[in-house]
Amino acid sequence: MDFSALIPNLTLGFTVALSFQNLIYCFIGVLLGTLIGVLPGIGPVATIAMLLPITFNLPPTPALIMLAGIYYGASYGGSTTAILVNLPGESSSVVTCMDGYQLGRQGRAGPALAIAAIGSFFAGTVGTLLIALFGPPLAELAFAFGAAEYFSMMVLGLISAVVLASGSLIKAIGMILVGLLGGIVGTDVNSGIARYSFGISELSDGIGFVSVAMGMFGFGEIIANLGQTSLARHVEVSKVHSLMPTKDDIRMSIGPIVRGTAIGTVFGILPGAHTVIAAFSSYTMEKKLAKDPTRFGKGAIEGVAGPESANNAAAQTCFIPLLTLGIPTGAVMALMVGAMTIQGIAPGPQVMTQKPDLFWGMIASMWLGNGMLVILNLPMIGMWVQFLKIPYRLMFPGICLFICIGAFSINNASFDVYMATLFGFFGYYASKWGCEPAPLILGFVLGPLMEENLRRAMLISRGDPSVFFTRPISLGMLLVAFALLAMIVLPQFRKKRAEVVGEADA
Amino acid sequence: MAFRDRDRKDFNAGIMYVVIGAFFAGFATNYPMGSAVRMGPAYFPTILGAMLVTLGLLLVFRSFFMRGGERPSKTHWQPLLGILGAVLLFAFLIDRTGLILASAVTMVVCSLGGWDFKWKEQVVNSVVMTAAVVGIFYHGLGLPFRLFPWS
Repeated sequence: MDFSALIPNLTLGFTVALSFQNLIYCFIGVLLGTLIGVLPGIGPVATIAMLLPITFNLPPTPALIMLAGIYYGASYGGSTTAILVNLPGESSSVVTCMDGYQLGRQGRAGPALAIAAIGSFFAGTVGTLLIALFGPPLAELAFAFGAAEYFSMMVLGLISAVVLASGSLIKAIGMILVGLLGGIVGTDVNSGIARYSFGISELSDGIGFVSVAMGMFGFGEIIANLGQTSLARHVEVSKVHSLMPTKDDIRMSIGPIVRGTAIGTVFGILPGAHTVIAAFSSYTMEKKLAKDPTRFGKGAIEGVAGPESANNAAAQTCFIPLLTLGIPTGAVMALMVGAMTIQGIAPGPQVMTQKPDLFWGMIASMWLGNGMLVILNLPMIGMWVQFLKIPYRLMFPGICLFICIGAFSINNASFDVYMATLFGFFGYYASKWGCEPAPLILGFVLGPLMEENLRRAMLISRGDPSVFFTRPISLGMLLVAFALLAMIVLPQFRKKRAEVVGEADA
Repeated sequence: MAFRDRDRKDFNAGIMYVVIGAFFAGFATNYPMGSAVRMGPAYFPTILGAMLVTLGLLLVFRSFFMRGGERPSKTHWQPLLGILGAVLLFAFLIDRTGLILASAVTMVVCSLGGWDFKWKEQVVNSVVMTAAVVGIFYHGLGLPFRLFPWS
């Protein structure tokens, strides 16, 4: 590996990221992300979908810097909510809830928040460095990929996403297929035929998956939240006395932070519900390593430090497949693809070579953004506490309105709002029947790409499907995909999976 | 193995997949199929649709053997109609009356989907949010919205 270019690359990145304008956008992104992220019942996907339109009028670099800021602001905001009130905004915060909320009830919410912030910052730093180190060689590799490799890689990506995702495997694969089908609605690039458009001119441009995400994650989640009563009660917010962790807290947290970061970076690169699995694995590991595992669930600081670091590390490294291969690994990254497309950038290895200032600027700003999170969250915790006290019944109409405006502003067309309504309805019932929306979004993004690469691969091979098995990289990826599927049939692994993702579901 | 003992979640999801898959695969017959070398526009959706129908049938079949599955939770009509109704109204009004009226109406209708609806509170909420939205999106971000019905 060639590391000699790292310093000039990072220098370029920091020159871009440290410009006054980009610093401001990064700050606004982190601030808004945290602001929406702390609201109970709103996960990062809904947050990003909701805030996407505010980046439309910006040039590409600040827009993506801001979106990345919104993303980790939202992730961190979810942890704050988990510690202060027992209402996780996103599934990965469920883990933080278990010990974080207990610490809060013991009057130690402050140290828990501080440790979470320190752990997240450490994990974010490592994650960012890894992107900088492994981004360029991976992109090199991606340039060598042909259509067959791309197709096999997407198959692998989709398979591992469902294997690691929660819930029924068959239903998840089904949702992927629905997504792939929905993704190819619109004009076929080869023949020019408008598929499944039924004479509606907007449909011949395809269904914008940003409005799909807004409908399924935004409206779907709000309706589901209103259906349960836990948010209707007045929320009990833990008091924050002092932020300073004790020496013991810090001593006990160092190990979990380092281990959590390691776990998180690995899971981040793998497709699927990375942050949830990372947080859960870290929690399980710390519990196993602890001298006294019974402390867990009753306010063990390690139970906050490890999962929070893992969560944040995964949130960083999941940018690696997106920025180097152009393949989104989850719903959030799928939205980033949408944002890049709106900005006229095709995600993939060419971003690094053609727009180095954008690529390295974004990486540098990720690190700055993680720093801002710490600075922003600890002193401003009082403000978030006040914010949490606003009752949900006053909050949700505003959130809905923001999503409506967001959907409308994608193309300045009410058509996208109608689409979002339709998918909100669909998503509400689908999740009632155990079909999660995340695989659908992934399929939506990958649908056209998969078809395109399948066509090209088959054209080059003159219609011989063995091309996917004779090219070594392609074969390797399909074998891994097959192994993953085979693994899930094994009863032992199945039990383990149910343990990890099943708990995450609850 | 009576019909009423089926796992409703699996059964419903399976039927949904069969319907969606059959729709896409069936409608694809209107487009040229092409060959494996030169795939027509129908090729990929036909394969995917067939796979989806197969999965759906599998789920339906399995649902009769998976007893004791949880029933899907009841439909919460009030939030469902309140939220989606408000969103539909937004889409309808934004083209006809502009941003201000669309936002204000959406806020109030939306809040009908929640708990403890109080007119006064939600009207104030609606006015505040409408002002905020106009401030942020129109003035702050300069997005090209029509504000009034006559503008």
